[in-house]
Amino acid sequence: MALKRINKELKDLERDPPSSCSAGPVGEDYFHWQATIMGPDESPYHGGVYFLAIHFPTDYPFKPPKINFTTKIYHPNINSNGSICLDILKDQWSPALTISKVLLSICSLLTDPNPDDPLVPEIAHIYKTDPSRYNGTAREWNRKYATWF
Amino acid sequence: MSDYGSDDFMLDDSEEGFEYSDSDGDGNGEGPLAEGGSATGTQPSQAQHTQTQTQGEYSADAAFDDDDDDYFMDDSGFEPVLSRRNQRKPWEVDFKVYAQDGLSAKQDAMVSRLEPLLALSKETTTLLLRCYFWKEEPLLEGLLTDREGTLAKVGLPEHPPSPRIETGNDAFVCEICYCGGGDERYLTLWCGHRFCSDCYRTYIASKAQEGESWRIRCAAPKCKTLVGLEPARLVLAGDAAALARYEENLTRSFVNDLDTFAWCPAPNCEYAIECQVPRSAWATTIPTVRCQCGKAFCFGCKLDDHTPAPCYLVDWWAQKCHDDSETSNWIKANTKECIKCKSTIEKNGGCNHMTCRDCRHEFCWVCMGPWSEHGQSYYSCNRFDEDSSKNARDSVSKSRAMLERYLHYFTRYNNHEQSARLARRLLAATEKNMEQIQREHTLSWIEVQFLSEAVDVLSMCRSTLKWSYVLGYYMLSDNQKIIFEDNQSDLEMATEQLNELVENPISEDGPSIEEFKRIVIDKTTYVRTRWETILADIIAGLQENRWQFEAE
Repeated sequence: MALKRINKELKDLERDPPSSCSAGPVGEDYFHWQATIMGPDESPYHGGVYFLAIHFPTDYPFKPPKINFTTKIYHPNINSNGSICLDILKDQWSPALTISKVLLSICSLLTDPNPDDPLVPEIAHIYKTDPSRYNGTAREWNRKYATWF
Repeated sequence: MSDYGSDDFMLDDSEEGFEYSDSDGDGNGEGPLAEGGSATGTQPSQAQHTQTQTQGEYSADAAFDDDDDDYFMDDSGFEPVLSRRNQRKPWEVDFKVYAQDGLSAKQDAMVSRLEPLLALSKETTTLLLRCYFWKEEPLLEGLLTDREGTLAKVGLPEHPPSPRIETGNDAFVCEICYCGGGDERYLTLWCGHRFCSDCYRTYIASKAQEGESWRIRCAAPKCKTLVGLEPARLVLAGDAAALARYEENLTRSFVNDLDTFAWCPAPNCEYAIECQVPRSAWATTIPTVRCQCGKAFCFGCKLDDHTPAPCYLVDWWAQKCHDDSETSNWIKANTKECIKCKSTIEKNGGCNHMTCRDCRHEFCWVCMGPWSEHGQSYYSCNRFDEDSSKNARDSVSKSRAMLERYLHYFTRYNNHEQSARLARRLLAATEKNMEQIQREHTLSWIEVQFLSEAVDVLSMCRSTLKWSYVLGYYMLSDNQKIIFEDNQSDLEMATEQLNELVENPISEDGPSIEEFKRIVIDKTTYVRTRWETILADIIAGLQENRWQFEAE
């Protein structure tokens, strides 16, 4: 079931790739993928390319995939290990969600952080009280860690 | 009617569980009429057997089963004695033990009672009740003020059609497994989302594995509709293990969601207990219940029976005994610190001229001043009366007094705990004794029961005495405490005497068996009376606020 569904998702991604994201298996192991997200235009991450690691559980899609950033990013809902605090990756996961939908959700999380449910309270605090400082640091990290050319 | 809480959760379905009030005072939860009760033949099955019932302030009128009334009120002439014996004692509370099937019946009863009242389907009523933690009043209020909004909470129509697994839709594609076509069997929920029945089965089974049941929502992203019990049962029909798990979770959530229900904490025990004593009364009432499995525990804190100490004192005591506060008290009372390097020093002999082993600092044990200042007046410190040394000594003796006070209560508490453990061994020995007496004196089994009864009373008293020392430890000293301690010492003395009697029963040159039996029965009755007196007095005192307790 899991493998069949992962294959199907991969085919769909190849046939109809979402704008600004891509994803696919790292090697022979179809349960381990790598994904990229382009920093959204209207965010301080614009121009950056962010890599993510995706691990599918064996009972996928009934359990959510494990996704984390492998590129360093300054964001209230993403910590220094790259863990992402996103409801649909936890209790709001639905088996009808796909990797492509999840990646799009992560894109919109980059545009609109959720400082009321932060993973890194310090960044959330700065985001709320001093947005220009937040933008500056996020852009700085974006240039330092996520820009390749 | 009940003095506590609403009428919603009355003990009115006596056929669903065992109802108790352990009023015969033997502490084993089996009333004198336990056998008689079943002999009336009015109970359809063992699980529905209704035991000794009493009507107290926590129980409902309906708790009285007519058949049992008839039994008590028959013309045998025993009625006055029996009814007095079965009256609830002041320290007892009413409770009811439920087996698994009793719990299901209880849930069904609550649903079917409300169903016609709400004019909703059974499924909707069930889910609404569960959403409202089985509290009928807020649910009725919600429905009266905002019927639509309340129903939206469960995302169900008033009368959902029975769920059906359909097939034959060529356009259908399951968004979970991407299978589709006319052969695919699928389930449509009330929200319109449809997935194939295999995916739904795996989905619900995996949620059930995590302990979920009725809270499982539609598999579509962000859809708030509850799957519902009927559709879940329908898709799980092919997976017996998952269905059993799902049903178990339903019952589990019922017991967990209700304040008046609790699981028996004994390992592997599957009974649940219903007790109507509200949380606010736990400071003055000890809600001790006894499970069908024999475990006696406090409904409030789920710890072993701790009558007559209320939960909060037990909590204080447990903390006191567990943390290191007494170790540090001991250190304070028995050791001093080296002024220079702060090493802890215990003086185990010798003169007052101390030399710290760590830093070689020399000082006087009595005044703690440096030894060099003592000049030649060895062995007699002439600086004894100086303020600083006086203060140091005062604090040492104060903490020593506190330690001694604690140890006084702790040793007695501990002693009764150990004796209670020994009493269990005594019970085995007593059984052997009873057999021996039966053989040697050609008595019948019923005629030697007085021994086991004595041991029962003993272990009851041990437990009560043990916890009475916790009460005593926190009780402020006043006249009331003196009365309390008099009662306590009376019971303690009588208990010890009875223990001695039972431990070495028959000897060649001792009293005859008839005489011995009379002595033991007399003593047992006396101890039981003392026990009842002290318990009744303590509970009355708690309820009248007669005792003052103080945390440290």
